Amino acid sequence: METVGSQIIEVLSSMISSGVPVSDGTRIARDLGLDSVAIMDFVMELEERFDILIPLDQIADVETIHDLTKAIEAIMKDAA
Amino acid sequence: MNELLPANYSGGVYRPADFATLTEALDYAALGNAGLDFYSGKGDLLQTLRYRDLRKQARSLARRMRSAGLAQGERVAILADTDADFVLAFFASQYAGLVPAAMPLPTAFGGKAGYISHIRRMIESSGASAVLSPGALLEMTQEAASGLGLKAAGTLEIFDGFVDDGAPLPEITPQHLSYLQYSSGSTRFPLGVAVTQRALMSNCRAITQHGLKIIATDRCVSWLPFYHDMGLVGFLLVPVTTQMPVDYVATREFARRPMIWPTLISRNGGTLSFSPSFGYDLCARRAASGVRADNLDLSRWRVAGIGGDMIREKVLSNFAESFSPDGFRREAFVASYGMAEATLAISFAPLATGIKTDHVDLDQLEAAAIAEPVKRNGAAGPRSRSFVNCGKVLPGHELEIRDADGNLLGERMAGRVMVRGPSLMQEYFGNHEETSRALSQDGWLDTGDLGYLIGGSLVITGRSKDLILINGRNVWPQDLEWAVEQEVDGVRSGDVAAFSIDEAAAERVVLMAHCRKTNESEREDLRQAIIETIRVRAGLDCEVMLVAPHSLPQTSSGKLSRTQARQFYLSGADGSGAPTNAHRQA
Repeated sequence: METVGSQIIEVLSSMISSGVPVSDGTRIARDLGLDSVAIMDFVMELEERFDILIPLDQIADVETIHDLTKAIEAIMKDAA
Repeated sequence: MNELLPANYSGGVYRPADFATLTEALDYAALGNAGLDFYSGKGDLLQTLRYRDLRKQARSLARRMRSAGLAQGERVAILADTDADFVLAFFASQYAGLVPAAMPLPTAFGGKAGYISHIRRMIESSGASAVLSPGALLEMTQEAASGLGLKAAGTLEIFDGFVDDGAPLPEITPQHLSYLQYSSGSTRFPLGVAVTQRALMSNCRAITQHGLKIIATDRCVSWLPFYHDMGLVGFLLVPVTTQMPVDYVATREFARRPMIWPTLISRNGGTLSFSPSFGYDLCARRAASGVRADNLDLSRWRVAGIGGDMIREKVLSNFAESFSPDGFRREAFVASYGMAEATLAISFAPLATGIKTDHVDLDQLEAAAIAEPVKRNGAAGPRSRSFVNCGKVLPGHELEIRDADGNLLGERMAGRVMVRGPSLMQEYFGNHEETSRALSQDGWLDTGDLGYLIGGSLVITGRSKDLILINGRNVWPQDLEWAVEQEVDGVRSGDVAAFSIDEAAAERVVLMAHCRKTNESEREDLRQAIIETIRVRAGLDCEVMLVAPHSLPQTSSGKLSRTQARQFYLSGADGSGAPTNAHRQA
């Protein structure tokens, strides 16, 4: 089974240019070269894929791919 | 679980906002069957709140808020999610004589710290006695309020322990403040527009009876945030004063799934909906990328309003083309002009006529402030541009165009737009200095916008102040400059100028910064750091122009001149006579 982290990276890889390295520590708003509309699309993709809603507070609290992975895992656990 | 059904208007005699106060308006709306529906981005009906239930719950909450020690005239900050709790807290405040101030929501990844300090400054600026929050933002709210000595900070549940003693509620009169609106002012120095019941009702009446000519069978749809004037006044308070049903979807849901907007309009028979140009743009682009909603019927949409930023003719034209197969009529577009300082609306273009533009000679406009009409598409002709006609000022209000010295200007002479009338704010809350800068002794508001009149109809051409209007948001350049100075290594105070370039297609944000590096990779790092900082702190995309140290233009008093920085940028950007000390990199 694919991990949450690997699926996030899979979604991202279709949106960013191939030369950009992505790791756990990558900062979403700063390091990916995505504009604000692309970031919205990214969030929507993740919500569709995991069938979750990422709540307001977590958007502000999430800075890195690692933070996002943890947040999505927590949301999925709550929903289960 | 019972399936929720959207609320519909039924019964009662329609009253077009002819009430003395907002509480009187809700008392009347509560006699009918209409109300507010809240949808998810996928189109599921999440909550429905009929006006009669809203009134009953709001009056009970008002009494419990008073039991908790909140007294008439005190302010209550409310973090404004698009949900029933916000609406309930807002109207409970109306009945209790409290003054609510809607606070924004966080928008950017990693923006937590900046968001908390922003909320804290607004709580302090309003002198709020309490702050209310959605459950999801509770921790951040409590952090923002810590040490401020508020009487209450939490979700609506904090009032559960207080009894509804059934005591009489205070009398609300037209001169009482209704709310504070925080969409003006920078995040560092927030300004709360203080609106009385009288001003609010005056603007609601003008919008209802003249601007939009609202009728009993109208229904509106909105994804605009409640913390902006167009979302709060236009799509919550105007509907309450006209007993109108509303369908809402949260702004963040719309941004992710823009097609939910036309979908809801189609499904529930919406007739009125507004957006800044960018909302139409998001939809048209989504449609162009192949995302279509099936079986849309937009034929009942009679007012597709545009306001909140410069109106983009091309964007609207794209939208109309995309959605005309679904019954959308381009005549439904209605240009409008307004601002929170005038409650909401100042003028509307005539209904059912679509967007009307005026095509003028740009050289004449810039050099002589004369709007000289020219023919379109004259390839050999002068530099020219179209501006949108925003219609006549609402009845009961006056509008004048004046030059920099305050002299009245005539037809087709461009100058400052000044407005006077019953819809204007009372003040910027608790800030006499800023109030007297905006409002004259004899009641004229300097809108900060530039424009001209044709036969009494207003055409907006730009702004006399530095404010950046982008995607319907007011952004103060000081906030962007400050964020970069605080967060980017090697950037000091006075090293950055932020401004926007208004083009026919869009408004672009530019940050011009001093750079002491000559190594190209270090220069690129600085550019990226500035772009990232603006994205995280302001949720905006910008471009960066690096210039030599000490080359940012200053005014005679030594202050940064953003106007000159913009001209400097433009002279370099079009390649004609770029200043030699500007190392411009695309």
